[in-house]
Amino acid sequence: MVSVVSITGGKGGTGKSTIATSLATYLAKNNRVLLVDLDVECPDDHYILNIDLKKIDDIFQMVPKFDNSKCIKCGKCAEVCSENAIVLPKNNFPLFFPEQCIGCKACLLVCNKIAGAISEGKKKIGFFSKGSNYGVDLIAGFVSVGKEESSPVVKHVKKYVESIKKNYDYVIIDTAAGMHCTVIHALEKSDFAFAVTEPTPFGAHDLGKIGELLNELKIPFEIVLNRSDVGDKKLIEKIAEKLGSEITSKIPYSPSIAKAYAKGEVVKDEHIRKLAQRIEAKMK
Amino acid sequence: MKKFVVLSGKGGVGKTSIASSIAVELSKKHKIVAVDCDVDASNLPLSLGLTKFEKKEKISTGVRAKIVSSKCVNCGICAENCPFNAISLKNGKYFITPYLCEGCKVCSLVCPKAAIELYEVKNAEVGYGKTKFGFNVFFAQLFAGETGSGKVVDYVKSLAEKSSFNTEIIVMDGAAGIGCPVIASIRDADYALLITEPSPTAFSDLKRLLKLLDFFKIPRALIINKYTLDENFTEKIEKFAEKNKIKIVGKIPYDRQFVTAAVNLTPPTIYIPKYSHLFENISRFLEGKL
Repeated sequence: MVSVVSITGGKGGTGKSTIATSLATYLAKNNRVLLVDLDVECPDDHYILNIDLKKIDDIFQMVPKFDNSKCIKCGKCAEVCSENAIVLPKNNFPLFFPEQCIGCKACLLVCNKIAGAISEGKKKIGFFSKGSNYGVDLIAGFVSVGKEESSPVVKHVKKYVESIKKNYDYVIIDTAAGMHCTVIHALEKSDFAFAVTEPTPFGAHDLGKIGELLNELKIPFEIVLNRSDVGDKKLIEKIAEKLGSEITSKIPYSPSIAKAYAKGEVVKDEHIRKLAQRIEAKMK
Repeated sequence: MKKFVVLSGKGGVGKTSIASSIAVELSKKHKIVAVDCDVDASNLPLSLGLTKFEKKEKISTGVRAKIVSSKCVNCGICAENCPFNAISLKNGKYFITPYLCEGCKVCSLVCPKAAIELYEVKNAEVGYGKTKFGFNVFFAQLFAGETGSGKVVDYVKSLAEKSSFNTEIIVMDGAAGIGCPVIASIRDADYALLITEPSPTAFSDLKRLLKLLDFFKIPRALIINKYTLDENFTEKIEKFAEKNKIKIVGKIPYDRQFVTAAVNLTPPTIYIPKYSHLFENISRFLEGKL
């Protein structure tokens, strides 16, 4: 059985990608491992793993296509659009703003009953790619720059991962910072998660938020305290207790980790190797 | 009123610490308000030493659907048509998973029994408080499992804009990434201050962010934070900036005291006096641009 483990944390720059890539390489020594980079706005795992990615496919989202020869200017499409992506100027055909469209097809559904002037078109919102190194297969999603459709890109990549995950023992998911929709969709259906944080008031605040989300999604999680000696550990211990979670690993600041990070290399560290062992024991 | 936004693409490179320091410096000569546009991980008030707020309120920026079970005949048409796969069978009954629902209303359009109701979702908390430096900071925090962060950013921005008629400068601390909350914060910004650090990941994220700023035609300047972590890489960023005509307005060494400043809920420009001059210079530069 494949186990899906997510690496998240709330605050940015706490070490999610560093730990996700390192953890994946340790796990890959005894297992078949797929790493999925779902930080689709700023995916970086391929830099760290030194992988030249090859594109698998573009990602599209449905948008309505208007046939003005059939349009009766009734305005129902504009009325049902929850995103104000369709506007009906007086005595004119509908104006469509594709960047606002979320592809729900509400306009198409109502128009089908009236005039049949709307059909399915599509817009490109991103792409996804793959590559391998250190025994780790990597899949990374990219949202097109300037597009707001990060969530649909995440969902699309996850759907693809669903179709191939049976070939692996572990799927490691690296999420974006924050706790909004892209993170929610990245985390969904994980068996387990590590929340990576740092001992500052910022780290503590954001850990509190991502912890609430993980609890809501009913995903069991443990806390990894990175750079544990730079700041105030008590801040995190307090939040951990409040969340009913435990700090599994404290990784002190280490010049060798900082150096590998600065070079964009995979980090080798005893604490992360132990995390890999912990996952193996847990998921057995 | 001029608006500038602090951004980085990659998280954790120092946006909030730098934004709070520049806000403090700018406030010495100007009437400013600060806005935390990172509604996922709202840390700017903390960086400015604020833990108590004058006002906090729950807001709603969208609707969601729910099934009225007394009217539902379990036909499943809603589940078939939901574009976000938010409707599934649970114990023989159709159920809408709240965090998957985007409020598009397609289910209510197709339901033959009018069994679907829409309700307003309280998805965030917004508020403001007065910092000990004399200016107000506005913030918003999304609730766990809620969506719509771009709309929440729009809301907190307009709240800040309307708060005072004689505000000269709005200082916005942006989110990580280049997605909808970031786009909401830059859409009408006059200037962007970008923060990066000498690592391949931060550099690659910076380049994606620059493309986004090109898209919206926002002028920008750059700060290299923690530049001593890798001085060779810093040089590479400097060359890149020169080639792309991006002015570097500051270089900050790696200094653990920035963490101590954060732990003490104090902007680095106040907590570590040796950097005051640097932040003052950056503020003077921004004044010239705004």
